[in-house]
Amino acid sequence: MTLDELKAKIEERFKDSILTAVLSAQKELIVTVKPEAYHEMAVSLRDEEGLAFQHLSCLTAVDYPKENKITLVDHLWSYRHGHQMTLKLDLPRDNARVRSVEDVWKSANWLEREVFDLYGVTFEGHPDLRRIMMPEDYKKHPLRKDFSDDGFIVKPN
Amino acid sequence: MGEKIVGMAAALLHGLYGFLHLSALAPVLDTVVEAVVMFAFVAVFVMFLVWMERKVSAHMQSRIGPNRVGPLGLLQTLADAIKLTIKEDVKPVKRDKVPYFIAPIVAFVATFMGLVVIPFDKGVVVQDLNVGILYVIAITGFTVVAILTAGWSSNNKYALLGGFRSAAQIVSYEIPLVMSLVPVIMVTGTLSLKSIVDYQAQAGYWFVLPQLMAFLIFLTSATAEANRAPFDIPEAESELIGGFHTEYSGVKFAMFFLGEYIAMVVSASVATAVFLGGWLAPPFLGFLHLPGFVWFVLKILFMIYLIMAFRWTFPRLRVDQLMDFGWKVLIPLSIINILVTGFVILKGL
Amino acid sequence: MTDLLLSQIRAGQETQFGTDEYVVNLGPQHPSTHGVLRLVVRLDGETVKETTPVLGYLHRSIEKICENRTYPQCITYTDRVDYVSAMSVNYAFAQAVEKLMGIEVPVRAQWLRMIMVELQRIASHLLWMGSFAGDLGALTPLLYGMRERERIIDLFEMTCGQRLTYNYIRIGGVMIDILPEFVPKCRAFLDYFEDRIDEYEGLLTYNPIFLERTKGVGVITPEVGINCGVTGPALRGSGVSCDVRKKQPYLFYDQVKFEEALGQDGDCWSRYRVRMDELTQSVSIIRQCLDRLEPGPIEAKMPPVLKAPAGGEVYSRIESSRGEMGVYLVGDGTAKPWKAKFRCASFNNVYPLDQLTRGWKLADIMAVLGSMDMIVPEVDR
Repeated sequence: MTLDELKAKIEERFKDSILTAVLSAQKELIVTVKPEAYHEMAVSLRDEEGLAFQHLSCLTAVDYPKENKITLVDHLWSYRHGHQMTLKLDLPRDNARVRSVEDVWKSANWLEREVFDLYGVTFEGHPDLRRIMMPEDYKKHPLRKDFSDDGFIVKPN
Repeated sequence: MGEKIVGMAAALLHGLYGFLHLSALAPVLDTVVEAVVMFAFVAVFVMFLVWMERKVSAHMQSRIGPNRVGPLGLLQTLADAIKLTIKEDVKPVKRDKVPYFIAPIVAFVATFMGLVVIPFDKGVVVQDLNVGILYVIAITGFTVVAILTAGWSSNNKYALLGGFRSAAQIVSYEIPLVMSLVPVIMVTGTLSLKSIVDYQAQAGYWFVLPQLMAFLIFLTSATAEANRAPFDIPEAESELIGGFHTEYSGVKFAMFFLGEYIAMVVSASVATAVFLGGWLAPPFLGFLHLPGFVWFVLKILFMIYLIMAFRWTFPRLRVDQLMDFGWKVLIPLSIINILVTGFVILKGL
Repeated sequence: MTDLLLSQIRAGQETQFGTDEYVVNLGPQHPSTHGVLRLVVRLDGETVKETTPVLGYLHRSIEKICENRTYPQCITYTDRVDYVSAMSVNYAFAQAVEKLMGIEVPVRAQWLRMIMVELQRIASHLLWMGSFAGDLGALTPLLYGMRERERIIDLFEMTCGQRLTYNYIRIGGVMIDILPEFVPKCRAFLDYFEDRIDEYEGLLTYNPIFLERTKGVGVITPEVGINCGVTGPALRGSGVSCDVRKKQPYLFYDQVKFEEALGQDGDCWSRYRVRMDELTQSVSIIRQCLDRLEPGPIEAKMPPVLKAPAGGEVYSRIESSRGEMGVYLVGDGTAKPWKAKFRCASFNNVYPLDQLTRGWKLADIMAVLGSMDMIVPEVDR
C-alpha cells in the first residue's frame, strides 16, 4: 500500500475523528486527530486488518507556547504491512489531559510516563502515572519551553 | 625422607627444650610449634595460590596477569595482604557486633583446623586421628555457621541472602561429599587418611581408578563446599555483590578470603590422600626419588588447578538448579556407587 | 500439640508458617545493572514477586540540551546517548537532519557510514557478549570480546582519533576520509575475526550450564514483544522479523546481501543466538561495503548555517546495535531544532522486565536484563 492509498484509507475510515491528514515533504503521513477520538482511533489502528499498526514506535510531545498548545505525537509502524504513520493531537497547554493508550500499546506505559514527567500531560486511565526521569518530589516539567530552574534559565528560542 | 626431617626437627626441638629447662612443657610447646609451622606453611602456600589463580585466569583470558611486584609478580599477593591489613575496617553501624566480629575468625579457624589430619608425607602429619575423614568433614562444615552468622550480623539483605544460599548449598553438598568417600572407607576399613594412603601403597593402585565416579563426585562437591564457581552462589558478584562478605573489609575480609583458599587446600588434600595416593610417587616417575612431600604438593596443585579452571570457564548455576544437581544427580549417583562397591566387596570380586 | 499448631494457623490471617516478602534494591550501584539502573525487587526467599525498574539516575536531559544547540553541535551529544554504539546514534541523528533538510549525501560517505556502523555493531555485540556472560558468572568471555573489540576501536581511532565517542558521522557526510591503510587493515581484521566467532561459540554457546541458565528463561512471545515495543535482537529472538535494515532500508542496505538473523523460542538463549549470527552477517556486510568503496567526495555541499524548514518534522529510524533507534526532529526555521526526541531501543526493551521475571529466581533477573542488551544512558538519556 502506498502512502497515498493509506492516507485515503484513513481519511475514509476515520472521517469524523481526524482533523487533517497530510503527506509531509519528508514523505511521512501525518494525521491530526481530535483528542476525544484518540483512544478509539488507536484501538482501530492497531486491530483493523488493513492498518495493523501493532508497534507504537515512539510517543512524545512538542510544546508550542505561542499557540498555547502541547502536541502529542505518536509514531506508529506496522510489521505486517511495513507502513508508518504519525498520529498527532493538540492539547491545551494549561490543562493537558488525554485518555491513555497504555491499554492499546503496552509500550506507551513508560513513554506516557515520560511525557507526563517532562511535559506535564496527564494521561487518564494510566495505571501507574508517576514521574520516571525526574525525582518524585520534583514540581516542574523540564521539556516545556518556559522551563527554568534555579540559576539555569532557558529562554524559548 | 619427610619422616627423617620431622624426626630431626623434633630431636632438635626437644634438645632446645632441655637447654631451656622447659622439658616438662614439651607437649604444649610441641603443639604451639606445630601450629606455627602449619600456619606459616599455609600462609605462604595460600599466597602462592592467589598468585597462581591470577596467573591461571590471566592465561585463560589471554592476559598477562600480575608481573610488577617481585619476580613474575610473585610478591603481588604480599602487597595485597599488606594493603588489606592496613586499610580502614569499614563496619556497618547497625551490625550485630559480636557475631559480626566472630564470623570471619570461625571461618578461618574452622578450615585451618582441617589441615591437622592431612598426611603431607609418610609420618608428617600433625595428628593422625583414626577418624580423620570424619574430623575433616565435620570441622570444615563449621564454615557454614560462620557464613550464616556473617550474613545475618551484617544487617544487609545481600549478605543475608548469601548466607541463606550458603547454608542450603553446604547442607546439600556435604552429603554427596561424604558419600563419595564411603566406598573408599568400605574398601580400606579405616577412616584415617594416613592408613588410606598406606593401603594404596600396598595395593599398588590409587583409588582414582576403581572409584573414578566417587572421585568426580568428590571433586564436584568439594568445589561447591569451597564456594567456588560454578557453585559460588553465596558470593555471586553479579547478583549479590559480595554475598555474605559484602560488608566486610580489611583484615576481616582477608580472613574469609584466606578461609576460602584453605578450604580449597583441605579439599584438594583429602582428594589427594584418598584418591590420588597421597605422597606416593606416580607410576613410572618413581625413579625421580623426589620426597613424598613434593609429590603431595604437586598433586594438590593439580587438583587446585582443576578447580581454578572450572571457575574461569563455567557460568554460575542458579540456586534451584544447584539444589537439583546436588539432590537429583550427585546423591543418587553416590548411592549407586556405594551399592556397587558393597556388592563387589561382598562377592569378593 | 497438633491442635495447638492448627489453632495458631487459624488464628492468624495467613498461616503462621508462611513466608515474609522483602524488598531488595538492586542498584543504582550494582554490578549487574550495567550502570545506574535501579531495580526494586520484591522477593519471597529467592523467588521474584515483582521487579520495578526505577529510571532517571543517568538522566542528562539530552533532548533539552539539543533544543539549545545547533544541528551540528547536537552530533556530539548523540555520542553520549549510547556510548557503546556511538556511531549508530551519530548516524541516526545525521540521517534525520538530512531528511529534514533534504541533503543529498555523496555515495562514498554512505559506504563509509555503513562500514563504521557495522563495525560498531560488532564491537557493541562483543561487549554485550562479555557482560552477558559476566552476569551469568562466566568472566572469561568478557576478555575474549574485549580483545577483538580493541582492534575495531583501533580502526576507529585510526580514522577519527577517538576511541569511544567518535563524532565521526556528520550531517551531510563523514568527518574525514579513511586512511589508505584502513581497507587492508579492516580486511585483515575481518579474516581474523571470523575464526574468533567459533572460539566464542565453543566457549559459551553449548556449555551445559549456560544452556541451563538461558534456555526457556525470560521468554518473550511475539505478541507481548511487539505490544511492549521491544525491538532489535531482543524481538528477533522471538522470530519476529523487525530489522529496520530490511524493512525500511536506509544507507545502501538494499544493495548488499545479508540475512536477517531470527531466533525461535524468544528466550535468553535465542537472543544470544541472534546476536552471534549478526556478528557473521555484519562481517559479510562490511566485506561487501569494502568491495564497493570508490573514491569520491565525502561531504555534501551545504549552506554554512544549517536551518530546518519551519514546521518541518521528520521521524527516521535505523537499526542500531540494540534495536530500533528513532530520531524525531521538529524544525522551526532556525539553526536549532525545536524538538529533538531520541527513541532508544533500551528504553522499551527494559519495560517488560517485570513481566518476564515474575515467579523466576533472583539470578534470572540478571540473565534477562543481560540478554536484553540494555544500556542505561539510552534508557535515561
